[in-house]
Amino acid sequence: MIGLDVGSTAAKMVWIESGGLKFRITSTHNWKELVEGIDGDEIISTGYFRNSVPHRASLTELTAAIYGVRHYFPDAEVIVDIGGQDTKVIDVRNNNFIINDKCSAGTGAFLEFVANYFKIELNELGSMHAMAKRIPDINNTCGVFALSEMISQLVGGYSKEEVIAGMHYAFARRISYMIPQAHKVVLIGGTVKNEGMVAALRDVLNIDVLIPDEPQIINALGALKYYS
Amino acid sequence: MPVKKIGITALVPPELIFSCGVTPFDVNNVIPASRKYPGNKLCAWTAIWKDMLVKKEIEVDSLVVVAGGDCHNALVDGQKAAMSGIPTHFFFYPFDGDPEYLGSQLHRLSLFLGGIKSPEKFKEIGELKKQGQLLDKKRCSGKLSSSEAFRILISFSDLAGDLAGFSRIISDLQEKDIEVRNRVALIGVPPIFHDFHETAQSLDLQIVFDELPYEFIRHGGSNIQEIAVNYCGYTFARPLEFRIDFLKNELKRRRVDGVIHYTQFACHHMLEDEVLREKLDYPMLTIQGDLPGNTPQQVKLRLEAFREMLDRQ
Repeated sequence: MIGLDVGSTAAKMVWIESGGLKFRITSTHNWKELVEGIDGDEIISTGYFRNSVPHRASLTELTAAIYGVRHYFPDAEVIVDIGGQDTKVIDVRNNNFIINDKCSAGTGAFLEFVANYFKIELNELGSMHAMAKRIPDINNTCGVFALSEMISQLVGGYSKEEVIAGMHYAFARRISYMIPQAHKVVLIGGTVKNEGMVAALRDVLNIDVLIPDEPQIINALGALKYYS
Repeated sequence: MPVKKIGITALVPPELIFSCGVTPFDVNNVIPASRKYPGNKLCAWTAIWKDMLVKKEIEVDSLVVVAGGDCHNALVDGQKAAMSGIPTHFFFYPFDGDPEYLGSQLHRLSLFLGGIKSPEKFKEIGELKKQGQLLDKKRCSGKLSSSEAFRILISFSDLAGDLAGFSRIISDLQEKDIEVRNRVALIGVPPIFHDFHETAQSLDLQIVFDELPYEFIRHGGSNIQEIAVNYCGYTFARPLEFRIDFLKNELKRRRVDGVIHYTQFACHHMLEDEVLREKLDYPMLTIQGDLPGNTPQQVKLRLEAFREMLDRQ
């Protein structure tokens, strides 16, 4: 049996082999490569395209996230899943959830936008953030207006690294409005691999957020766990 | 001479309208399937009926705008419709539930509509509303699908403009035998998506309570004085605590497992969400709609996740 999470930007597959967790990740449009030779009856799917791929059973990424996170943190209170096109906050304590899928400012798309502007790879944002000496204050309400602020800060003398750090803080503030007060907050999703964004979120929330080793595969793992 | 068609923008006692020898037409009922995208709007509901009235895509002889005690955007969009030349009357419910005030509003409305000519309509509509309450009970026990129940109950605001025809539609309904799992109450204004109930049903959520349509069948009376007293209980026009007390009883009576609070973009009812979440002790999903059409994928995801959440409980 495999867990398959086909999200808006990446497809992730998880299976258990010799008692250990195995996984593969590719971009969404290449999802078929992941399941080549695998019978649809062996697949538990989740993610935005869960019903568009062959599957034995499917479940939403919100439920999958709960089961996947429990594997690493059984006492998690709040899960923040920062995806490519939306951000989901699940309060496990009362089974409540909220989703931001109307505005790019609090999703992975926003940081992709920043990386594209500076013509750098997405995974370089974190290391550049670490080099910032100052953090400029950047509007935290709209991704589009943030771009003009970003340019203003560059013209005003802030370095590229500092402006990237400022954008991470803008992103973190945006997300923080969605997160209820809790002691055990777990971050998952591909965007969480960006250490700069995580540092900014830790600072804004003022708590030590928890991150599983492979935050991007948690929903695929959750799908597998749910039906195991 | 054809019977005059009176546009209504929210709940206006149909008993009074029919008894004045004219027929009501709820301008909201055409919106979910309209696929109209208004240029200048806050709430799409009011903006679309305003546009359609001004452009004569909805043709009415005159308009009654419920401008007090329910929809605040209607006050402005109703004036815009009036400025286009449609004879318009503004109707106000009392926030404090004063039946004397509502009685005076109803007298003014009857004068606008030409005075009461067929008082027997009060009783006739009362009988139809009893049938509506029976349908509402049937859907709670799975003898009627929630989508069919909604389609009929929402039409009680204007009774499809034809009492005899509407009675036949009710009589023609076939009983079903539906297993009612995941009993859900739908509170707030009705969703602007035309297939919302079917969508919820396909995701194994059975809507056993439609808050606003239920208001359309539970008030009545045999004359102006009686309906003035009775319609003072119209919860959307009253203080939030009044509505919450009423909701608590209904949710308990219908043994609901969860609540879906539909909110319309730019509607003041959105502000009530946090209070409803605090006061109603049920799992609650809040969804928001903006423009008419099919239920969007993002909303379907929320509904499915909510169903999974109810399953886990």
